[in-house]
Parts: sequence; C-alpha cells; structure tokens
Amino acid sequence: MKNLLFILVLSIFSCTKNNSTSSAAGAEGAQKVLNLVVTADVKGFDPNQASDLYAGNEVARVYEGLLQFHYLKRPYQLEPNLADGMPTVGDGGLSYTFKLKKGVMFHDDVCFPNGKGRELVAEDIAYSIKRMGDPKEQSKGWWLIEGKIAGLDDWRKNGNSDYSKEISGIKVIDKHTIKFTLSRPFPQFLYAFAMPFTYAVAKEAVTKYGKEFVNHPIGTGPFITGKYNQGNQIVYTRNPNYRTVTYPSEGESGDSAKGFLKSAGQKLPLVDKIVVKIMKEEQTRWLNFLKGNLDAMGIPTEQFTNVMVPGKGLSDKFQKMGVMERKSVGLDVTYNAFNHEHELFKDNVKLRQAMSLAQDRDMLNKKFYQGVSIPAQSITPPNIAGHINGFVGEYQNLNIEKAKAKLAEAGYPEGKGLPEITLHYTYNTKSRQIAEVFQQNMSKIGVKIKPVGVTWPELMKVVNTKQSMMFSMAWGADYPDAENFLQLLYSKNSAPGANGSNFSNPEYDAMFVKASMMEDSPERTALYEKMYKFVSDKVPWILGFHRVGYGLSHGWFKNYKFTEFNHGVAKYYDIDNSAKNELKTKL
Amino acid sequence: MEKEYSLWADAFRRLAKNKIALISLVIVVIYAIIAILVSLGLLAGNWAEEVGPENVAPTAEYLLGTDFLGRDVLRKVIYGTQVAMTVGFFSCVIAIPIGVTLGAVAGYFGGFVDEIIVWFYTTFASIPYLMMLISISYVMERGLKSMCIALGVTSWVGLCRLVRGEVIKHRNRDYVQAVTSLGGGHAKKLFQHILPNIFHLVIINASLRFQSAIKSEVILSYLGLGVQGTPSWGKMIDDAKQDLMQGQWWQLAGATLAMFFIVLALNILGDALRDALDPKLKGQES
Repeated sequence: MKNLLFILVLSIFSCTKNNSTSSAAGAEGAQKVLNLVVTADVKGFDPNQASDLYAGNEVARVYEGLLQFHYLKRPYQLEPNLADGMPTVGDGGLSYTFKLKKGVMFHDDVCFPNGKGRELVAEDIAYSIKRMGDPKEQSKGWWLIEGKIAGLDDWRKNGNSDYSKEISGIKVIDKHTIKFTLSRPFPQFLYAFAMPFTYAVAKEAVTKYGKEFVNHPIGTGPFITGKYNQGNQIVYTRNPNYRTVTYPSEGESGDSAKGFLKSAGQKLPLVDKIVVKIMKEEQTRWLNFLKGNLDAMGIPTEQFTNVMVPGKGLSDKFQKMGVMERKSVGLDVTYNAFNHEHELFKDNVKLRQAMSLAQDRDMLNKKFYQGVSIPAQSITPPNIAGHINGFVGEYQNLNIEKAKAKLAEAGYPEGKGLPEITLHYTYNTKSRQIAEVFQQNMSKIGVKIKPVGVTWPELMKVVNTKQSMMFSMAWGADYPDAENFLQLLYSKNSAPGANGSNFSNPEYDAMFVKASMMEDSPERTALYEKMYKFVSDKVPWILGFHRVGYGLSHGWFKNYKFTEFNHGVAKYYDIDNSAKNELKTKL
Repeated sequence: MEKEYSLWADAFRRLAKNKIALISLVIVVIYAIIAILVSLGLLAGNWAEEVGPENVAPTAEYLLGTDFLGRDVLRKVIYGTQVAMTVGFFSCVIAIPIGVTLGAVAGYFGGFVDEIIVWFYTTFASIPYLMMLISISYVMERGLKSMCIALGVTSWVGLCRLVRGEVIKHRNRDYVQAVTSLGGGHAKKLFQHILPNIFHLVIINASLRFQSAIKSEVILSYLGLGVQGTPSWGKMIDDAKQDLMQGQWWQLAGATLAMFFIVLALNILGDALRDALDPKLKGQES
C-alpha cells in the first residue's frame, strides 16, 4: 500500500513537472527512479567551479562536454559527446578542429527567447572556454588550460574580460565548427574536453542569472533539474528534448557476461528520474542502503568483514538480499615521498632503496586494504598505457637482509649515524596507523622514523616550502594518461608544483620532456615503460598501493559498471522495477 | 592540652588520618615514579617492539593483550603514563606562576591594574579552550612540548580569579596593616605575608589542574594534536574505535583504567587537601 501510494505520488509529480515521461511510465507501469547518494554538500552547478568530485558529478548530469570517456571500454578511451566525431589534429599537433553535432538543444528556460532552449553552436563552446580564462569568474579549472591555448593567457591578463576580443587560439569557423590552436604541443589537451570545467554553458543563462548562475543549471544534458536550493536532495527528471543517443554495443571482454551489454542500442537516458540524496554520515547511508532507499554505496570500513568473506566475495546474508559487489580499481598511487632537496636523501639512492626494501607492503595491504589493493611496483597505475603488468620491482618488495646490506652500503650500518627522520602525514586514525606501521618496519633495519600527523593545509605548507623530510601522499589521475603521474617527478614541477618530493634527475627529465610532446603511439608507450622501470630502480618515493575498493549495489540496479571517470554516466544506469519489487521484500 | 603544629605539619597529620586520601597519594606517587622511570629510559623503552601476534586478548603473558601491530598494550599504557604525567606537571608549572602572579597583583593593587588584568583574563576566558588549544598546537610544532605550553597558558584563568579574590580579602587585614606600619613595602607584604596565607588554595588548585590537564592531553591526542610518534592514552582510545568493532576491548580498557585511577586519585587528593588545609575545618576531627 505504501509502495502504491509512493508510485501514485510520483506519477502525479511527473505529470505536473514533465509530460514526456508518461510514455516510459506507461510502458513499465511505473517510473524508473534512480536513488543515488552524495557524501558531501554540493557546492553548486557552475561547471567552472566543479573542482570536486561531488559538484562534478552533479554538473555532469545536466551539462555536457565535447568529449567523454567510453562507458564500457578499457583502457579508458575518449569518444565524442557534443562533438560530431573526434577532432582533426593539424599543424603538427598544434591545432584541434571540432565539428559539433547538429540539433543539440539547451534545456528550456526563461533566459532564452520564449522560454524555449536554442540550439548549441560553436560560439557556445568558445564562450565556455573563454569563461574559464576570465579572471572575474575565478574558474577552478584554469590550471587545465593555462599556458596551452594560444592567446588565451594574454586575454586573461589584458583582455578586461571582453569576450568579443579575438583570441588566436580559439576560432569559430562556422556555426558548427571550432578550431583550437595550442601554443605548444600537448597531446593530453583533449582530456580537458571530457572534464566538467569545459562543459558547454549558454551565455544567456550566465548573463541572466549572474551570481545566481551557480544555482540555475541549464545545459544540454540528459537530465533537468530546477533551481538548486542547498537542500538535502537533488531531483532530476529526464530531458524530454534530449537528442538520440544510444547505449554502447561494445565494451571490454567480460562485459557481456556481466550483463553490461543488455541495454545495447537503447535510447538514453534509461531512467526517468534521479534522486540524489545528500547524506554525510556513513551510518545513515548504510542504514538507507540496507532498507533499499539507496541503490548503491561503498562498503563502510568497519562493515567490511560483515559484508565480504575474504577470498570468497559477498557473505551469504548479502547474497540472499540480491546485493551485488563492484570492484573498483582506482587510477591512483599512494607513496611516502623523500624530500630530495634534503641533504640526507639527495643523491643517496642506496638509503632510499634500503628503506623501500624494508617496507612490508603485504602487511599493510592485509591490515588496511583488506588485502585487495595492488602493491605499486612503480608510479603508473594499472589500466593505463605505461603500466607494465606483472613487473616486479627490485626494491619494492620486502627483503630485510638486502635492506640492511643497502643501508650499510649507504654508509649507515644498522642505522648508525642516521638522524631521526620526520614523516608528515594528513591526520586521521587510519593514516596514523599506517604511519606507525612504516615506523615499525623501518625500525627493523635501524632507521628511526617520527610520524607527525597534521591537517591537509599544514601538510601542503611543509611540502610546498620544502621543510619536510618525508611525507605521505596519494595521487589520483586527472586523466588516464601516464603523463599525469610521470609529471610528479619532473624537476620543473618541484615544490610548490606537483613534484613535492623535488626529485631532480636530468636523465628522467629528458625522457619526460620527450614523452610529453609525443602523440599516443607504441613509441610513447615504450618510453613510458622505460620511465616506469627507471622510477622503480631509483626509488624517488617509497611506493604504496594502487588502491582497490568495493562498492555495493542492489540487484535491481543495472549497468552499474565501475569507471574512474564517472561524469555523466547516470544516463547509462537502469532500474529494473519488477526486480526491485521482488527484492525489496527480502530486505 | 593539644600539641601545637605548624600549618603544614598539621595538614599532613590530618591528611594521614584519611585512609582514602593516603591511598590516593600513594597512587599519585606511583604514577610519578613510573613517569620518571620511563623518562630515564628504564621502563617501557621497548614499547615499539613486536612481542607477539597481533590483537591477542589479555593472557598471563600479555597482561593487557597486544595491539594491531603485535605490540604489548601494557607497555603502551606505561609509556602513556609518562606522557600524561609530564603534561599534567609542566602545564601546572606554567599555569600556576601566571595565575598566582597576575591574580595577586590584580587583587593587591586594585584600581587600574586590576581592571586591566580582569579585562585580560575575561577576554582570555571567553575564547573556547579547545579552540585555543588547537590553534596553539597549529602554530607551534606538534609534540609534548607544545602541548604542555598550550595547556599551561590556557588553564590559569580560574586560579587567577581565585587568588585575586583571596588577596582582596587579605590586603586590609590587621596583619597586613601591621606590616605597613612597620614600614614593609608592597613586595614584602604581598609575597612574604599574604601569599603564604593563601598558598593552600594554590596547592588544592594544582591537584585539580593536574588531572584536568591529563584529560585534555587524552582529548588532544585523540584528535591527533598531541604527542607524535610515541604512544599515549588518547591515541590508544583512538585506535580502540576500530578495535571495538572487532570485539577487541583491551586497548580501550588499558588506557581508560590508567586514566581513571590517576584522575580519581587526584580528585580525592584535592578534596582531602582542601579539608586538611582549610583553617576553618581545623579541630573538626572525624
């Protein structure tokens, strides 16, 4: 009865709000409603400000970019979204010409004449990119294109935010064609167009709403939501005027067996409505998930042993509930970095190797990552070109005897003469315990470590001012290219840049500069792999893990494939209402 | 005819009659000895050693079990004693001179001086103490030293108020006027005559201050603002958050029991000292 009432309320809601969903609702007898959760406040809907995961995900339901990542294929692959095909690259890798899809419409809104959304044109793309460079907008994504598009940096400095001024690197050729020219070759440039910062906005909306634009999402995407009020949930409905986009019909091997291809060819989006609940407390999320109010969530750390049976997968209780597990292999790497400008570590590769050999990664994996993470052998994570599957580093695996020998070679037999080494880390219970394990591991070869737990801003301060001896850090990929990781050791990126460890090696730098100019090719992959081995040997950091996690979803939630780049993937998700009705009785 | 005793000898005599207070005193002395031995490296210096398998429940071999790294929980508790006692002691060493001096000066001179000092400590007291502690921990490098200083400089206001009030009461008493008429200066009156007469209040306050500093140390360590790289009770309780989910209670029990006894002992001792030193209660032997 309660359910019926719920459906009734929903259908009334859908009729008043959005007429076109009635066909979908009629066919199924009920609307398909996706119930998702976000674990922190959503700052708003301005693509320019979408610097965190939470805002980025919400922005990407409403707005779209020129490109996106293929939902199913791995390694990660770009594909056109608003663009009609991949861009043509010219001028020796300096220019990118995009053709836009025709007939892409903005959502209806009062900011447009007669309240009807107009067609997206090349001018909109130019406007959106210029807006990233507009100092008045203070875009959080400026770093992404800084120093890359010819003339844009100059316009930012001297252009007085005058959007009518010509910028040599951004040329609108016709209504549906735009050409970008770079100031230097940068093959990773294309990834920028799959990130929410560059998503297309309409000038009319920005002008009309001004400061309030952040609360008025008006894009071209598959879902629509009204004015955003910082409440405890966000409700989206299907965009009735969404162009014809279909579910992909090919993926990676194994996708078919997992049922990810069942929706192949169907018109997107597959659900009628998305309810995103904001729940900051893990316990609240967990109870709601167990009641079936949320379709998916991560496994809370302290529940892990209840949910998963080591080596087997889901426990019986959860299998009976029809819950599914989802493994997530993150594109990241954790590490304890040495400060290479500190006298102790500078050019002291043997000391670094000794310490790396004494770190017991298997124990850490078992204690803190349920034994499922991947001990890093070098810097580049799996699933991107430049990672060598099956590679075993000479210094990345526990060997106390060898560690002691190396330490003696370094001039500190049994740690004699070695000062106490301070390790800064961001304080929370788990990080502290991980630091304590490191402290204990190092003590086995006579190296004294003093872990110091600080806040994130404090950690950034000691790293950026080069005051730290060692520090714990993790890097998550901005885009699926080894360059994004390898740049962490490029000497020109030294603190306050991304190379907080201040590693500086001419041989490495030369390889990096060469690789960063190269287009994706077997030659570049070979060079990436050479650098992968180089990092493993030179031990600029004591490497940790490529982290693997588990998420849970209910049996009625379909097409829920893990992707590191989950912007805009909600359009692929599906809800099986009959399965839901049946499974809900088992909860 | 009762024998005549000096104030302090009398106080000790009365304290000795109170069994519970005496036990408390013994407990405090034991904790102090443990702390000194740990500081000298004679006790629990090997806390970081892996003594056995991880997360073993208490047995005859490991009286308080082992933690997630196979370290002996008892040794960590003992090491934590040193941290707690050090913080308690040094925060008192810092807070008491500040509180007594400012309180005495304000109370004695009154007027403008008093107004300034009262303004200062009321302003100071209006800052939430935890916020103050956190900001001091941020400014200084984290560790035992900064924690002692942080707790010391934030905990003198209560004592300052108390001393000020007492000095105001005393400054016009006959014995003080007698000193004035004999030509005694301000310093002589204040430090040689008034202060000794109110010093019992300082002692009582110190014992209470001591135990609240220990509690603050545990809170700060729990929040990650305390000692770095060595065990403390607060960090053990922090670990216990996760341990408890797996039914491992011994780390929490070890730390909280150790804290419980010293805090209780100091509280009882504080009360007993008050009874023993309060002249008004003199002769009311139970």
